[in-house]
Amino acid sequence: MPHLEIADLSASYEKGVDVLSGIDLQVERGEILSLIGPSGSGKSTLLRVIVGLLPPDSGRMVVDGTPVNFHDKRSLRDLRGRCAIVFQQYNLFQNMNVMRNVTIAPTKIKKRAAASVRAEAEALLEKVGLGDKHDAYPDELSGGQQQRVAIARALALKPEILLLDEVTSALDPELVNEVLDAVRVLAGEGMTMVVVSHEMGFVREVSTRVAMMDEGRIVETGTPEEIFDRPSAGRTRDFVAKILRG
Amino acid sequence: MDYTFQFGVIAKHLPYLIGGAWLSLLLAFLAFWAGAVIGLLGAMGKTFGGRVLYRVIDVYVVFFTNTPALVQIYVIFYGLPDLGIVLSPFNSVLLGLTLNCGAYLTEIQRAGFQSVRREELEAAETLGMSLWQTVRYVIAPHIAKTLYAPLSNFYIWIVLGSSMAGIFAVEELTGRAINVSSSTFRTIEVFTYTAGIYVVLTVVASALLALIGRHAFRVKARIF
Ligand SMILES: Nc1ncnc2c1ncn2[C@@H]1O[C@H](COP(=O)(O)OP(=O)(O)O)[C@@H](O)[C@H]1O
Ligand SMILES: [Mg+2]
Repeated sequence: MPHLEIADLSASYEKGVDVLSGIDLQVERGEILSLIGPSGSGKSTLLRVIVGLLPPDSGRMVVDGTPVNFHDKRSLRDLRGRCAIVFQQYNLFQNMNVMRNVTIAPTKIKKRAAASVRAEAEALLEKVGLGDKHDAYPDELSGGQQQRVAIARALALKPEILLLDEVTSALDPELVNEVLDAVRVLAGEGMTMVVVSHEMGFVREVSTRVAMMDEGRIVETGTPEEIFDRPSAGRTRDFVAKILRG
Repeated sequence: MDYTFQFGVIAKHLPYLIGGAWLSLLLAFLAFWAGAVIGLLGAMGKTFGGRVLYRVIDVYVVFFTNTPALVQIYVIFYGLPDLGIVLSPFNSVLLGLTLNCGAYLTEIQRAGFQSVRREELEAAETLGMSLWQTVRYVIAPHIAKTLYAPLSNFYIWIVLGSSMAGIFAVEELTGRAINVSSSTFRTIEVFTYTAGIYVVLTVVASALLALIGRHAFRVKARIF
């Protein structure tokens, strides 16, 4: 049984203008699926649908065997307990320090005991290399540090599936690697992930599978070798050639 | 002009006046916080409620921000008894000031709601926060921080506005000043002291607010 399964799904922001259409996708447990494709092809939108921010117009989504009802509060809450997302733009809570950003959801939403949440948060921050920044506020951190806090915050809810939307593209080049390193650690631990990234070297290295998107559709799916070395769709070939040329 | 200032004579009434100042502070404090809660609910209703709720809140806001607070209190004090609702002078003034604060603070806080970054709201949603949790943990602290200056100024305005209570024989600072001046006929001296006490009240309140803002909300406010 796939961990995440999407079938014939379409979604739109305005009625009648499909931004996603006929999306079929299966992600196995522990798999790292990367979404690539030109800007505007619908990658972020797909992640927004998966995490329940944008209800699809039609189609099905099943997480761990349970169909998601996007219009049911319970079902959405359950979905958000399983999936966590980190966005491209820094979206830490500016009014909270690092520790509170990471602990707020487990303590206030999941109502878990503060002491154990804090201990886990310390371990998570250590893992993303920010063990010494507990008391800092987001505006006192670099972009790379903020993204790593955002990853720790997402992980604090112990999600089964982690979605990463271009988490490095707003960063200065010298900060990209510190964030990718944090993701590499997670990849090594067998977490299921759906990753949107323009760092092709990174995509090739960590992905178990790559899906190429264009104009709201998935045009091709394959192993990194298949997509990068022997793409079958013309559009994939063009895109890969263009991005590798830089 | 043969008026001889006699500040010394009035000095013995100072403790009495200062006693009234406490009541002024209490009145302002209660009206501000009750108004802040009304304002928070009003801002929530206007932002997240439907069109009907928006209209209803708008009528309230427009009415109370476009009529003098003094007139509102007159209506409450002299008008409500006709409807069978009799409030003490203190409660009438408190209710008037509270409704007035609520209307202004609805608009002030609504601006705060609109200035919350969309990224933070989405983060709250994906982390599983309910609307109320989002307001409590994300929006309200954001409002407190970004609107700290206008809110502080408004608080000062309410401290001064509480002087309207004196007209209704509430024994707060202005009410007591009226008492002393009518028994001693030393109007200038009495009100000079009274003005001085108001200055102290507002300066101390400003400094305290700036201090709280700096430490609790990381507002870069100057203490003076
Ligand atoms: N909030 C929105 N409202 C309306 N249209 C949007 C919104 N966000 C994205 N779009 C449109 O949806 C399409 C896909 O966008 P997006 O999913 O962000 O693509 P990608 O992440 O692949 O660059 C684009 O045409 C974009 O203009
Ligand atoms: Mg995108």
